[in-house]
Amino acid sequence: MLPNRSRTSVLVFLLPPLLLYSAAVLFPILQSLFLSFFSWNGISDMEFVGLDNYIRMFATDDIFWRAFLNALVYLAICLVLQLGGALAVASLLTSLRRGRELVKTLYLLPAVISTVAIAFLFVRIYSLEPVGLLNQLFHWVGLDSLERPWLSDVNTVLAAVSAPEGWRFTGLYMLIIYAALLAVPKELEEAAVLDGASRWTLFTKIRFPYIRPVWITTTIMATTYGLRGFDIPYLMTNGGPGQSSELLTTYMYKTAFTSTDFGYASTISVFIVVECLVAVGLILFLLKRKADS
Amino acid sequence: MITQAAPPTPPAAVVPQRPPVKRRRRRPDLFRTLSRVLVMLIVIVQVYPLAWLFLTSLRTEQDFATGDPFALPGSLTWENYARAFETGDLGRNILNSFIVTMGANILIVLLGMMAAYAIQVLGFRLSKLVRGLFLIGIIVPVQIALVPLFIDYSAVNLLDTYQSMIIPLAGFSLPMSIYLFCSFYEYIPQETYEAASLDGAGPYRIFGLITMPLSLNTVVTVVLVNSIFIWNDFIFANTFVLSEDLKTIPLGLQNYIGAMGKVDWTATFAAVCVTITPLLLVFLVLNKAMIQGLESGATKG
Repeated sequence: MLPNRSRTSVLVFLLPPLLLYSAAVLFPILQSLFLSFFSWNGISDMEFVGLDNYIRMFATDDIFWRAFLNALVYLAICLVLQLGGALAVASLLTSLRRGRELVKTLYLLPAVISTVAIAFLFVRIYSLEPVGLLNQLFHWVGLDSLERPWLSDVNTVLAAVSAPEGWRFTGLYMLIIYAALLAVPKELEEAAVLDGASRWTLFTKIRFPYIRPVWITTTIMATTYGLRGFDIPYLMTNGGPGQSSELLTTYMYKTAFTSTDFGYASTISVFIVVECLVAVGLILFLLKRKADS
Repeated sequence: MITQAAPPTPPAAVVPQRPPVKRRRRRPDLFRTLSRVLVMLIVIVQVYPLAWLFLTSLRTEQDFATGDPFALPGSLTWENYARAFETGDLGRNILNSFIVTMGANILIVLLGMMAAYAIQVLGFRLSKLVRGLFLIGIIVPVQIALVPLFIDYSAVNLLDTYQSMIIPLAGFSLPMSIYLFCSFYEYIPQETYEAASLDGAGPYRIFGLITMPLSLNTVVTVVLVNSIFIWNDFIFANTFVLSEDLKTIPLGLQNYIGAMGKVDWTATFAAVCVTITPLLLVFLVLNKAMIQGLESGATKG
């Protein structure tokens, strides 16, 4: 604490950031919660409906449940690609002697590119007519039976819109995990090697436990980002065909700005927030408990 | 950069591996070769789509429509770029993105430093609570703010303005920035402040003369990391902005999808190339700083 600070000086520094933050983040959260108890289309009078929106969401809305399940699949694909891919590349990278910086830079490139550009790019990669990169690749390796319009096939569309999001941020998590792996003390690893540990044991018994704190952070980051994924599915398929690639976020957006059902949309967004908080709590609980045991 | 979090320098990591080098050279290490091939493959998967994007932007429409997608362009043309500039208002979009990115960054850096200074340096009774409040902004998704902000903005006539994008973008970036500044301020030695206090400097002068100048490295990190998010923002711009004049790059790109979903792909890819270039250049020039920023931002969590 600074010796001769005053209460005024604290307020002078704290109030402006708090004001902006409240206006943009805190107040809207409360407002969403408030709106979720109303039925309102933005024009007519707001009507208090109590828990009706919640009952409608949980009890009768099939699209909501569909979107919720889709969001979980979307999340799972993103997590596998981002954390799995990141871990694989990061550990491989520690055994390389040259070109690490170059690999890091190249690997991070997609994270810099806007989601709209990525959506355009992947629409073309998936396309069948004219043939896109993916289908051409399958044709070359003789798997012609796999060629299909990935984005209009209800069986593949969800995976197809999830992959770009996963692809996009692998580099980011790789960087973080790689930095953590470098920080594992060399003496530990050398001692293990002297004791005859294989590369696999080295990884599972020394490196992985050592970077657990970073693992918690990255899992939380990837999960919360995965649950809020919106741009790419919205731009590529807008939730379709049917509801086969609808996520909670795209459903919420359409409810709000296409059907102008502000009350119900707020109910869905309250659910998304709760879902994020529960996910973070669950990750902390599971990973911390494992660390204690 | 945030010096106290400096990851072990590469030389330190390489030195202990030196002795076995000679032996390995005679008997090629299978594992090492395999890793190299694997890493290369993964990097290709990661980078090839972007290279393909650029190559496609140089193809003629005819070549694109009929040719093998993996083939190199039969003939190179810059015509797509000309058409890209005709179709959309690319210059305008880039300018708007600059305005929004600059505006939000100024707010984020200034307010972020102030809040971190109040929390970490000045200190007060409820500082833990305030810190916790800011943490919420990292966890909750931005979508929660869309409906309320849309309603509020239309009530105070802020819809369709630069502010309608700048305010939420800055608000949602603020928590992470405060966090980064806080963890940096933690390591400014207390004696520095005590010495300045003895010389008669109050909290404002200490902020302006000591804390702010010392934060320069963290400012670079914060600006770089946030700029990616802000420059590429689609959701706020898409929700709050309607007029062509205010459209930022992500929205401008949508103009290339014509009626009936018919797309002029080569021109679209040319436009994409133009619009990702500014950020890409900044990234390639400053990638060391950016990479360190991203690493230190997360490893401290």
